[in-house]
Amino acid sequence: MNPYVLTTLILSLGLGTTLTFASSHWLLAWMGLEINTMAIIPLMAQQHHPRATEATTKYFLTQATAAAMILFASTMNAWTMGDWNINQISHPLATTTVTLALALKIGLAPMHFWLPEVLQGLNLTTGLVLSTWQKLAPFALILQISQNTNPALLTTLGVMSALVGGWGGLNQTQLRKLLAYSSIAHLGWMIIILQFMPALTLLNLTIYITMTSTMFLSLKIMASTKINSLALAWPKTPTLTTLIMLSLLSLGGLPPLTGFMPKWLILQELAKQDLPITATIMAMSALLSLFFYLRLCYTTTLTTFPNTNNTTSPWRLKSTQITLPLTITIILTLMLLPVTPAITTMF
Amino acid sequence: MLKILIPTLMLIPTTWLTPKSWVWTTTTAQSLAIALLSLTWLKWTSETGWSTSGPYMATDPLSTPLLVLTCWLLPLMILASQNHISPEPINRQRSYITLLILLQTFLIMAFGATEIIMFYIMFEATLIPTLIIITRWGNQTERLNAGTYFLFYTLAGSLPLLVALLMTQKDMGTLSMLIIQHTKPTNLLSWGDKIWWVGCLLAFLVKMPLYGVHLWLPKAHVEAPIAGSMVLAAVLLKLGGYGMMRITIMLDPLTKELAYPFIILALWGIIMTGSICLRQTDLKSLIAYSSVSHMGLVAGGILIQTPWGFTGAIILMIAHGLVSSALFCLANTNYERTHSRTLLLTRGLQMILPLMATWWFIANLANLALPPLPNLMGELAIITSLFSWSPWTIVSTGLGTLITAGYSLYMFLMTQRGPTPLHTISLHPSHTREHLLMAMHLIPVLLLVLKPELMWGVCH
Repeated sequence: MNPYVLTTLILSLGLGTTLTFASSHWLLAWMGLEINTMAIIPLMAQQHHPRATEATTKYFLTQATAAAMILFASTMNAWTMGDWNINQISHPLATTTVTLALALKIGLAPMHFWLPEVLQGLNLTTGLVLSTWQKLAPFALILQISQNTNPALLTTLGVMSALVGGWGGLNQTQLRKLLAYSSIAHLGWMIIILQFMPALTLLNLTIYITMTSTMFLSLKIMASTKINSLALAWPKTPTLTTLIMLSLLSLGGLPPLTGFMPKWLILQELAKQDLPITATIMAMSALLSLFFYLRLCYTTTLTTFPNTNNTTSPWRLKSTQITLPLTITIILTLMLLPVTPAITTMF
Repeated sequence: MLKILIPTLMLIPTTWLTPKSWVWTTTTAQSLAIALLSLTWLKWTSETGWSTSGPYMATDPLSTPLLVLTCWLLPLMILASQNHISPEPINRQRSYITLLILLQTFLIMAFGATEIIMFYIMFEATLIPTLIIITRWGNQTERLNAGTYFLFYTLAGSLPLLVALLMTQKDMGTLSMLIIQHTKPTNLLSWGDKIWWVGCLLAFLVKMPLYGVHLWLPKAHVEAPIAGSMVLAAVLLKLGGYGMMRITIMLDPLTKELAYPFIILALWGIIMTGSICLRQTDLKSLIAYSSVSHMGLVAGGILIQTPWGFTGAIILMIAHGLVSSALFCLANTNYERTHSRTLLLTRGLQMILPLMATWWFIANLANLALPPLPNLMGELAIITSLFSWSPWTIVSTGLGTLITAGYSLYMFLMTQRGPTPLHTISLHPSHTREHLLMAMHLIPVLLLVLKPELMWGVCH
């Protein structure tokens, strides 16, 4: 892509999110969200492949619908309550609509159907941006409306997302769809705790972004998008395959890796709020996701796939890609659990 | 505690920086030094029972025997793995040893933890190295299934435990074992409290394992390589027993009624798994089911919550740990020579490997609880306390003892006695390393006959 165009698009992505972060008026927040959508559309379609075009169209339609719903809800609130302030949204219909709209924007169940297909149509870098950066602006809004939302709605969204994310990923062999379902499951965990402690939502989002970045960046280095090609990656980068295995277990939420931290803190908060049944259901749904992460661990590192003789000793050339971000995110994905107290003070 | 933890963690740089030909020697020597250092924990200095305490870790007469067992087992695991790992590239050998060391570190931190949540995190943390050992270095395709069963059975039990512990922390304000042992028994009557009780215990019952939830164990033990089987049988099962003993302190008085179905399952499991042992064709599977049988007895002993029950449980855990690990090492000596676990293929070995037959003999005698070995001490204490709880239990425990004797004798006679088939006469003679391994397993068992106070420190 033309470097000037690329620069404009990336800067627009930054602009959109920053606008939403900085705004206290619903219209400005909506504008930021729309700028984000517009900026990423050319990035998604840059491959000129029918699948990429289809993914772009689906993304545009769903995000536009969601943005229109946000506009509608905020207008409705302004008309009935007379307030355009983001955290003053109080009319029950408006809050429900805006929650559902933001859920559609990020891909919470039952509004998650677009996410696997869209993510599948993108290359890994754009997929990374979609899974991480594009979640920031909607979450800024979600955090701001957290006090006024319908508790039953949030709990339903959360539990359903965790279950859908777990069950949906079980049948996938394409890694991007698998990561989409993993995304949905993690979003479920983030939403369920929103009504009790929004700081934990933000912490979970941060750690989720770290772990997902690790996965996307490692897949990019190994240039694999299917389980089959991931399985043959061990001769090329043995260390990275081991680290991927550990990152997958971290995504699954196993102690003593970082991924356990948000789950632990969320379960603790749910227990404090006297919701042991919800906590147990969420915890058990994590087992579903863990199954397909474990299957990925098996195919990547713990077994040797059938391959021809010369693929087991390829030339290990130095990678031409920048590996510093991956280094940082891998270390954060694996080693942050002992410093949990320090991290909880930051949120 | 740090005197042991830091040398154990430092074993990891040792493994990676030692030159190739010295790796196994150095790691064995260093882990043996740590094991000998851990024996200092056996001196209980304080009245309250908790000694060597730091902010988050301490040892008391319940955890000390298990800690010493854990530390003792690491050099044995390294010794046992030396042969089957040696064909691999050196970095993979180093990774294998690193996994064993990491597992050791988590186990020491688990047994030494004073906060129950720390115990929980270390309990779960042991799952990952064990999973990697089973699925990466196991030998058959079934190892993947074994790893999945292992991970999911344990997690399905331990996630409710996490929720139950967090609920407890909300109600009691703390989860420190030092404080919980002094809290008043709570008045718990509702259905929710009963489910909380089950949540607290389920993880440990799955880990022990209790008979109904034991399906992961034969798979995991059989598919694991020798170090994996050793650590699983000797220590990881005892994590379940130890956890149960710690948790039941705060579960009174619910346990009096609610424990009934689990005690029944445990007792029934002794007979059922013992009977299965009599029909096994796979040697490691036989030893695995024998582990389930013994741990059923331990579970029964813990659930009735009497001093003799606890004492018997801890003695049986230590003795069974050493003996079961010894049996797995013996089965491994067969496996390394024939690459088969089938009992029928490795028969009549007394003619070919007579010295190993001695070890088979002693290990099987210990397994069937011959007096005066500590296995009998533990079993007798548990059987007596179960009898005082209800005389009818003598039916299952007595029958269980009989069946245990039956399959132990069966194992010995099948592998050692009888005609030697012609395909086994060219087996390699026993290595000194293997004799050393067996000696280091069984001599502590014999020595514990002389000073069992080291084990039953909880209720002197």
